Amino acid sequence: MAMIEVKRIAKSFDVKRRDERTGRFVRDKLTVLKDFSVDFNQEGVTVLLGPSGTGKSTLLRCINGLETLDGGDILVDGMSVRDKRMLKKIRLTCGMVFQQTVLFPHLDVMNNLTMGPVKLLGMRRKEAGERARFFLNKVGLSNKEKARHNELSGGEQQRIAIARALMMNPKALLLDEITSALDPEMTSEVLRILENLAADGVCMLAVTHEMAFAQHVASRILFMEKGSLVCDAGKDEFFTVYRRENERIASFLKFIGE
Amino acid sequence: MQAFDFASYARFKWSDMALILRSAGLTMEVTLLSLAMGTLLGMLLGLQRCSKNRAVKFLPLIVMEPLRNSPLIVQLFLIYYGLPSLGFHIKAMPAALATLSLNTAAFFAVLVHSSILAIPGAQWETGYALGFNKFQIYVHIIARQAVRLLIPQAITLYISQLQCSSLVSFVSLKDLTKAGQVVAQKTLLPFLIYGIVAGIYFALSYPLARLARYLEKRTGFTI
Amino acid sequence: MSYTLNFRVLMQYSGLFIDGVLLTLKICAGSLIIGFLLGSILAVMRQSGSRLARGFAAVWVEVLRNTPFLIQLFFFYYGLPQLGIYVDALTVAIIALGINSSAPNCEVIRSGLMAVKTGYYEASAALGFSRFQTFLHVVLPISLRLAFKPLTSNFVNLVLTSSVCYGITLMEIMGVAKTVSARSNRPFEIYLILLAAYCLFTYAVSFIAKAIDRKIEIKL
Repeated sequence: MAMIEVKRIAKSFDVKRRDERTGRFVRDKLTVLKDFSVDFNQEGVTVLLGPSGTGKSTLLRCINGLETLDGGDILVDGMSVRDKRMLKKIRLTCGMVFQQTVLFPHLDVMNNLTMGPVKLLGMRRKEAGERARFFLNKVGLSNKEKARHNELSGGEQQRIAIARALMMNPKALLLDEITSALDPEMTSEVLRILENLAADGVCMLAVTHEMAFAQHVASRILFMEKGSLVCDAGKDEFFTVYRRENERIASFLKFIGE
Repeated sequence: MQAFDFASYARFKWSDMALILRSAGLTMEVTLLSLAMGTLLGMLLGLQRCSKNRAVKFLPLIVMEPLRNSPLIVQLFLIYYGLPSLGFHIKAMPAALATLSLNTAAFFAVLVHSSILAIPGAQWETGYALGFNKFQIYVHIIARQAVRLLIPQAITLYISQLQCSSLVSFVSLKDLTKAGQVVAQKTLLPFLIYGIVAGIYFALSYPLARLARYLEKRTGFTI
Repeated sequence: MSYTLNFRVLMQYSGLFIDGVLLTLKICAGSLIIGFLLGSILAVMRQSGSRLARGFAAVWVEVLRNTPFLIQLFFFYYGLPQLGIYVDALTVAIIALGINSSAPNCEVIRSGLMAVKTGYYEASAALGFSRFQTFLHVVLPISLRLAFKPLTSNFVNLVLTSSVCYGITLMEIMGVAKTVSARSNRPFEIYLILLAAYCLFTYAVSFIAKAIDRKIEIKL
């Protein structure tokens, strides 16, 4: 059985937009996802590609319960996201890293990392500290234990954020455009770490625009457009077959400079 | 309980209400006069604080700091009770006006100073580059923008000074607060009377508070 | 007035002055605690989803900010006995001053709460924290650190306002000063010293507050 089963979900947002005719603000419903289904296994790196606003991030956020579903259901390891009591367990199963780094400003790096395990998993401080050092080493920032968020560059902050998610021992990492807010140099820092982690066998579900990453590391690629799945294929298949056959995919890839 | 003995409320006569309203008039008088004088003086002090000259810059502080960091009552008593012992005999009204004005001036000067400082240096530089001299820049460029920042804060200050005017009752001026005390003691209806008095202060203050908030939000409002 | 008399007056009545200062301290300590607790509750109410809570807190704050403290004081001092509540002047002062200071405290704490970006809530939730845990471990520490400096400024105002309690014949500093100045016929010196003392107190508190703030401040 797949670890994450997305079953026919629907999600729309209420937006206020200016009506062209009358010029006044109207409440409108923006349907982002409609009758969307997909399954994820706990293996390898899956990359979600597609133009902006097609529901990629929304899908991720629905998986760990940050957005409530309007229709359908998502089962994470058999637990439904609609069940409020299961939300905590679901979030412990899928760790998430966001586009805007949100390291807690009132804690140094070590506390940022150990806070979750100590308070949520009941780990002892000493054990959590050692675990934190292990992951800091993995993301290449062993010397930054006592740093505060404003002493770190954007790339370093994101790497700590990844470590923080890993500290909770999740079965999968959800990565929501984590390099979009970084400059190229920091982006490659972060991507390098992700490649190492993928090589170590960490299961990831990433929304990204970084083609290089998809090409090197992904095992499966999902291409979304306007809230529906256009293509679901293995990496090689995607870059050879679909690129040729599907106009939309081809133009998108060209647009990103492939 | 006495509070709920509504029949006793009949003790409150129209003449009492008239007294309260008349005294509210005095409160307004005192407040408006001292706010006007305080604003003028505060403007001067504030502009002084903006000067480059070290001496000119720090001189106003001698007056401002004690006024801002001590209670209004102490200032009031210092003037009303203290000065006579030095030989300056002063009556209640002038003493109250003087105290409130000086106090207002001290706070207003800070507002002026900070409003002018808040204008980015680039505005000055542009002015010079266009050929204006310092005075012209002040008048045409800086002042208008500073005033926009200043007004909401000034309104808030004025509201707070209106509340402070209640302290002049301590020097036996027949203001709204004093009237409240008199009537409350006479009718023995503190909830009603002080409620009414508070209501009058509120009615005078709240609209201004809303105005200040509105102006603050509309940072683009033109003067 | 001669210069030497300044100090002699203080010495002569030192006992009274010390009592006055102690009473002022009592008033301020009590109302500080009440003001902070009430202010925190009000701030949370202001941010809550319940319209009733938001409205109540808003009205509370507006009424307290737009009426004079002296009137509030009289309201409680003369009004409470009519409700059958008989308390001494000191308690009334503490209650009234506490309630009065809850309004600015509410505003300050509220802006601290509002400064916590949604990103922090989300990151915390994504880790698995419940809403309560997020509030306790993330929102509260951040808000309080942000609110510290303005809260100390409110505290200074509290102490300055406590002098108004003279109006209900409490022998705190102001009351003592009035009595002593009448007896000794040296009002100018006394009020001048008082002025200086308050100024010094304000500077001392600001200095300490700045030092503490430098240690705990967060750059969001």
